[in-house]
Amino acid sequence: MKHGIELSVNGDLYEVLVAPNQTLLEVLRDKLGLMGTKRGCDVGACGACTVLLDGEAYLSCVMLAMDAVGKKIVTIEGLAENGTLHPLQDSFVRLGGLQCGFCTPGIIMTAKAVLDEEPHPTEASLKKKMAGNLCRCTGYTKVIEAVMDVAKRTGGQD
Amino acid sequence: MRLPKFEYRQPESMKEACEILLDQPSARVLAGGTDLLVNMKHRVETPTTVVNLKRVAGQSYVRKENGALRIGALTPLKHVYRDPFVAEKLPALAAAASSVGSYHHQTMGTIGGNLCQQTRCKYFNQSKWWRSSRPLCFKAGGDLCHVAKKERVCYSTYCGDVAPALLVLDAEVVLSAKDGSRQVPLESMYSGEGKMPLQIERGEILTEVVIPASSANAFSTYKKFANRGSIDFPIVGAAFWTSTATGESRIALTAVDRKPVRARQLEEFMRGKPLGQDCLEAVDGLVTKEARLMKSSIDSLSFKRKLMGLLVKESIKEAMGGR
Repeated sequence: MKHGIELSVNGDLYEVLVAPNQTLLEVLRDKLGLMGTKRGCDVGACGACTVLLDGEAYLSCVMLAMDAVGKKIVTIEGLAENGTLHPLQDSFVRLGGLQCGFCTPGIIMTAKAVLDEEPHPTEASLKKKMAGNLCRCTGYTKVIEAVMDVAKRTGGQD
Repeated sequence: MRLPKFEYRQPESMKEACEILLDQPSARVLAGGTDLLVNMKHRVETPTTVVNLKRVAGQSYVRKENGALRIGALTPLKHVYRDPFVAEKLPALAAAASSVGSYHHQTMGTIGGNLCQQTRCKYFNQSKWWRSSRPLCFKAGGDLCHVAKKERVCYSTYCGDVAPALLVLDAEVVLSAKDGSRQVPLESMYSGEGKMPLQIERGEILTEVVIPASSANAFSTYKKFANRGSIDFPIVGAAFWTSTATGESRIALTAVDRKPVRARQLEEFMRGKPLGQDCLEAVDGLVTKEARLMKSSIDSLSFKRKLMGLLVKESIKEAMGGR
């Protein structure tokens, strides 16, 4: 049986008809057309599907869409404001924090959750918290550089 | 990977949740989802009903009551290790909770869910397609255990990180049912059977973890060895607790049996002895006595045995330095 639910995604309210066995990732991509959030391993092991729920980093592939009702969901599409990139996005572009880019949305969403919680992380703390986001191009050095740069410049307040 | 179809229930009280479980024998409870939903995607668990507990209010807390620390079963692991009392007085629990999976799993995963996680096995934690080259194993609904090459047994391994830490802290758990609840030692919740690793009555739900005050003023630690430092289950995990006041030590291990195990023979040997060379030399011989190692992962048993000794010795040395 399908259920009509309301999801708050990137500040917009969406009414969607979902089956209980649909994950949040499936609904974001297949129903709402928000393709920025990626399907990687699909079993919660790679971090590519990371989205923010009430500001915290969640793996949308191991979460039921029904379970996200009442939470503020933010995906990579919701970061830029009025055409201006979020400081994290800007930093990844400037410092080359990506290679193929598939893991990047998940990495940026995790980085945002980390910086919101800990505006000035040490490199060790940042690495520990971001370790669940795998990059198969193995471009980790520049990823960490890009996030640390934002922490330095904005204090991670945004 | 699609999840199999199921009926979704979202009770507003634990009582209601317990009633659903009584009514629907094959229902499973959903907390963080990082274990259950993965197993469901792999079709190794296909419950007819999923009971989401997260809408039950007031189940996420860490609070002190008459000296004991009480932790709600739905408390995310992140909130457990961030609690100032846990971080300062119960370092084994803090270390264990912060070593689970990745930061995301610690945000989503709950302490109750972590304790009740499924056992793991290289023949079982695989996609349906991968498993289709062999007959279904006993755990997944068939007859044969591919680890033991025997019928109607299951030698999958319990790999939770938090359970050994709570075992050495002498924790108890509250199991709630429709009409009342009971508090039992955590150790008695594990059956030691791979097929049904938890000894919980039908209609019961783990709702609270209770750590006695006496566990707080002592040395404790949890050490884990895994393939990847970033996100992984332990190859072996060891928790160690020792009190100078009573001369008592407790040691518990994970990923070495169908349940988390206490190394009681080693504890007995160490009782009343000052930590030192004597104890360290006894570790390798005694630490493996209670564990029933089986080759349910890709790691060899001799490697696991060596790791058990190494992790425990490292913990004892750390305690010696701290004294």
